Amino acid sequence: MRVLNKIVDWIDQRIGAREILKKELTGYLLPRNINAWYSLGSILLFAFALQVLSGILLLIYYVPDADKAFKSVSYIMNEVPYGWLIRMCHAVGSNMMVLALLLHMLSVLFMGSYKRPRELNWLTGFILFSMIQGISLTGYLLPWSQLSFWATTVATNSANAIPVVGPYLVEFLRGGVLVGPPTLGRFFALHVAVIPAGIAALIGAHLFLLKRTGVSTPPFGKKNTESQLQSDVYHHEDHPGGIPFFPDFALEDLRGIAIYMACFLAVLFFDPYLFFPKDAFIPANAFVTPAHIKPEWYFLANYQTLKIFPNELIGLSLQGAAMTFLALLPFVDRGRERHPLKRPLFMACSVGGLLLWIGLSIWGHFS
Amino acid sequence: MDNSGRRTFLGICLAGLGALTAAAVGWPLFRYLAPRTNKESAGKVVIPEAEVKAGEAKFFEYAGSSAVLLRKQDGSLIAFSAICTHLGCIVQWEKDKQDFLCPCHGGHYNSDGAVTAGPPPKPLPRIPFSVAGGNITVG
Repeated sequence: MRVLNKIVDWIDQRIGAREILKKELTGYLLPRNINAWYSLGSILLFAFALQVLSGILLLIYYVPDADKAFKSVSYIMNEVPYGWLIRMCHAVGSNMMVLALLLHMLSVLFMGSYKRPRELNWLTGFILFSMIQGISLTGYLLPWSQLSFWATTVATNSANAIPVVGPYLVEFLRGGVLVGPPTLGRFFALHVAVIPAGIAALIGAHLFLLKRTGVSTPPFGKKNTESQLQSDVYHHEDHPGGIPFFPDFALEDLRGIAIYMACFLAVLFFDPYLFFPKDAFIPANAFVTPAHIKPEWYFLANYQTLKIFPNELIGLSLQGAAMTFLALLPFVDRGRERHPLKRPLFMACSVGGLLLWIGLSIWGHFS
Repeated sequence: MDNSGRRTFLGICLAGLGALTAAAVGWPLFRYLAPRTNKESAGKVVIPEAEVKAGEAKFFEYAGSSAVLLRKQDGSLIAFSAICTHLGCIVQWEKDKQDFLCPCHGGHYNSDGAVTAGPPPKPLPRIPFSVAGGNITVG
């Protein structure tokens, strides 16, 4: 310990490290009524780090070539020691991360944390959500299985409904008329370089905005610690008399991460193929379309919407409108009230929307 | 139990748990990254005798590494590792001089694998082989 203290002293004398630690950790006060839902951001950071790490490890053996991709994934799963563990961590982790992200968004919605002055936090978060969907979609193709191939065919084909540029857009996305080796190259570059860099940059922006506006006070629970100043000039939301981030809330975060890991490991070891239909184990064949090809669970509602409407353009426009509405929600819902039970219209719309999404997903699964 | 005793006990438990977690993560990671022994290339290599003419050398892959089979001017055979003992480059056979040259730092070995010039500290390691039925079996 004495050596460690000496090292810290040495660094402190040069860059004032203790001052930063005090300001950002022990002196960083959070609302006294903060709850477990606020840990979802840290859980997501942890989940993303796990995806980056397992993704880098997979890159060692994965070959992004249409003739070798499936074989390389089989090699990772069957030959490389613990290759199955790394690959399943990545595959299960992506699904679990989407689930955590949805819960994070729901908690922000129901606690009204997207409202002024946090419109930009919501917007960056919403773009992050879209990018996570993008990284999941591009990653889905990489194992080059029947599932990958045909799910990507269906997903890219939906852009066909866009008037005038649709057919060209589909060809541009695929790098050819049909899904093929050029698509794999494009999706690989997007999945391992372009989108992760974008996500990392947006996480930075999201955290910067959180730091500048301050943590929002939950609209319920113990007595409020928020300083109630409301004005048109910039104001950082302080929480005098609140609880310190370290060690108090850092431990709450750790507890949240431990619960997430427990769920993650439970799926990983007890039902690893939960998210794998049987077509995921058959190499891609451009001449054999499997029956009932389905997207990942979080795209099932989109898939079913496109099936309900005979005109693809209407289905796509509806989804676009819903996504745009959700992205711009802080600019539409401008009331100051944040308690969910005191916002009956919001509650009715959001619970209805949620039930509709769940219903469409279940319908999509069984259709 | 007083507070400091409880704190120490919990600290030890936490450190133990941390060590266990580190081992549970570290071991699979090490195994995943550790080089794999290639069983196919670890076996014997069979080369037809006619492929190695007098004064010539044949390079081939052996046990996941590079090796060379040389038939000297007198017709005798000899097999070496083709990896220079200096810094691990692959040696080249110079037919006109009847010696091995390592192009990286100018190491020279004679046809028996002994160092004749340059920085290599040791001769080229020999590899056992046998000749039967017109085939040379290395390894």
